[in-house]
Amino acid sequence: MKTQNSYQVGQAVDDIAIQPGILIIGLGNPILGDDGAGWKIVEAIEREWKTVDLDSGIPGRSKPVQFEYLSLGGLSLMENMIGFENVILVDAIVTHKQPVGSIIRLRLEDLPHQTANHLASAHDVSLQNAVEMGRKLGASLPSNIFIVAIESRQVYDFSDQLSPQVEAGIPAAVEAVFECLQEITSIPPQEKDCSKISNKQEILP
Amino acid sequence: MQKISIDPITRLEGHGKIDIFLDEEGNVANTYFQIPELRGFERFCVGRPVEEMPLLTNRICGVCPEAHHMAAAKAADAVYKVDPPPTAKKLRELLYSGFFFTDHTTHFYALAGPDFVMGPDAPVAQRNILGVIHKVGLEIGGKVIQARKFGHKIVEIIGGRKIHPCTSIPGGLTKGITEEERKEIEEMGRWGVEFALFSLKLFNDIVLGNKEYVDLILGDIYTHRTYSIGLVDERNRVNFYDGMASVVDPEGERLGKYATPEYVDWIAEHVEPWTYLKFPYLKKVGWKGFVDGMDSGVYFSTPLARLNAADGMATPLAQEQYQKFYETLGGKPVHQRLATHWARLIEVLYAAERIVELSTDPEITGRDFHRVPTETPTEGVGTVEAPRGHLTHHYKTDERGILTEVNLIVGTTNNYAPISMSIKKAAENLIKKGKVVTEPMLNMVEMAFRAYDPCFGCAAHTLPGQMPLKITIRDAKGETVEVVKQYCE
Repeated sequence: MKTQNSYQVGQAVDDIAIQPGILIIGLGNPILGDDGAGWKIVEAIEREWKTVDLDSGIPGRSKPVQFEYLSLGGLSLMENMIGFENVILVDAIVTHKQPVGSIIRLRLEDLPHQTANHLASAHDVSLQNAVEMGRKLGASLPSNIFIVAIESRQVYDFSDQLSPQVEAGIPAAVEAVFECLQEITSIPPQEKDCSKISNKQEILP
Repeated sequence: MQKISIDPITRLEGHGKIDIFLDEEGNVANTYFQIPELRGFERFCVGRPVEEMPLLTNRICGVCPEAHHMAAAKAADAVYKVDPPPTAKKLRELLYSGFFFTDHTTHFYALAGPDFVMGPDAPVAQRNILGVIHKVGLEIGGKVIQARKFGHKIVEIIGGRKIHPCTSIPGGLTKGITEEERKEIEEMGRWGVEFALFSLKLFNDIVLGNKEYVDLILGDIYTHRTYSIGLVDERNRVNFYDGMASVVDPEGERLGKYATPEYVDWIAEHVEPWTYLKFPYLKKVGWKGFVDGMDSGVYFSTPLARLNAADGMATPLAQEQYQKFYETLGGKPVHQRLATHWARLIEVLYAAERIVELSTDPEITGRDFHRVPTETPTEGVGTVEAPRGHLTHHYKTDERGILTEVNLIVGTTNNYAPISMSIKKAAENLIKKGKVVTEPMLNMVEMAFRAYDPCFGCAAHTLPGQMPLKITIRDAKGETVEVVKQYCE
């Protein structure tokens, strides 16, 4: 691996074999108010995961699940998903179209696809483009990327507390993640068609 | 007066609201570029131990956490009046070089590259990193991913984890590196030098080999004759981690150098009623408004500014490129903001060469990587060059090291005035006598601020994840005549 000329193009993306497991990612900034909601939701799931039995009835409990907490987007987020068959992203969302604390469940492909994307982030590309780029380069990226998002507002004020409505929405968000797990575990591999599982809501611009 | 408004409703990495006012003739009278401030960081920090700051400030921004980690660590060193041992300083600079290498590479290929490789007039659907891969070849994408992986790996080896390093504490680091790790870093650095040279060749072939692009770079649209600021070493060469701040005037003469704790004598902040964010300017020159020239205290702080503020680069290959840069563009200083993309690639090369230099330094694997602070903590300033500008952290504490006051001047804030000026020029070019060229408006405005690689906010990645822009164009009576928008209602 580390001999002369060993760092070949493409190695970076194809040296990890696909894992049958599920990755649950809490996204956001844990000290920026409601933006930390994704982390808090995944922390709640991880706590529950560790304290119940394998045959507890929690969907996917017997599957290998990994938890990750990230403040990333675009290319970096894509790089963190390499090697997983299924990923659930849990994040704050600001649509201004539904009450704070509401839960939205959708698929990556349900997000508006921005092709230019310079502005998707001041310093990165959109996750869709990053995933497409990764796939072109031969990276093993998830066939299923689920998103569970919680409608938020206070994302400009530094605080390690969530607003009460968002805090109150956490149990429903946890439930939504479990629903995603249920979907993942119930789909036979050959039928992993994203469109069947999405309950996309027409709330995005 | 007419008003054109670019008014976003959601955000990612912060967002900007742009108002453009036209005069009676229908020409641009003024532009206002508002950046919403993320509130309460100071309040959030006060009352916490200063040694937490390298971890906490990591979370201010998802784009450059390593820069905040370093500035915070240096400020905490200063608060405790402790000078880290040479091995610690070299390890921090090595980590930081890995970060710069990755960050600049991403900017060039993902953001700046598409404009040049695909062309500024290319359909918006092609002007992205996928377009670049399609045009130049799949191999490019692999190299970019490789470059990012190496930078992240260096940060992880020295900083304890990827992206958000955690090993810098007052007095140095919590750990050193092994010989095996050193070798791995050296090997990645050598690959990085080749990659940087490849990138510069790509820039040379695609951009400098195309008269249209050269004309665009050298044109007047994005040219501002402002002061330049950047950290320099004892021989006035660019340094990202340490040194004095060098200030060079629009003619290329050095106004002076200052040790960073003296920043309060050099930098003042101008307040405008229409925005929360302040506009830093040179105290000795004074605030004359959003204008350039010798008499205006407006300065900029970017890769281009760093090259202007220095006498050269500290590594041999980067120095060659530095000379070529100024020979090609007609001498120092260079004021054409689009040349920043070239300057950024020269810094990629410097960062890679610096990785090799530091990783082959005999002291780098030393075990003396921390000096225990013994003084009573009081006050301290820490400054580094972040990829997008001069970054200063200033802390005051009580005798227990509990923070009582926190002040940050971040990279992009330095460039707030020049970015505003660049946006105005872009608007002037597109709006003449009431005739508005709406189609390229968004991209021209984007290009204006993309050269500065600005980061307006913080680590938030709140969905839906796009930066909305809305331009409302109003005639002299205030009536709306045109709306240009993306990703907003």
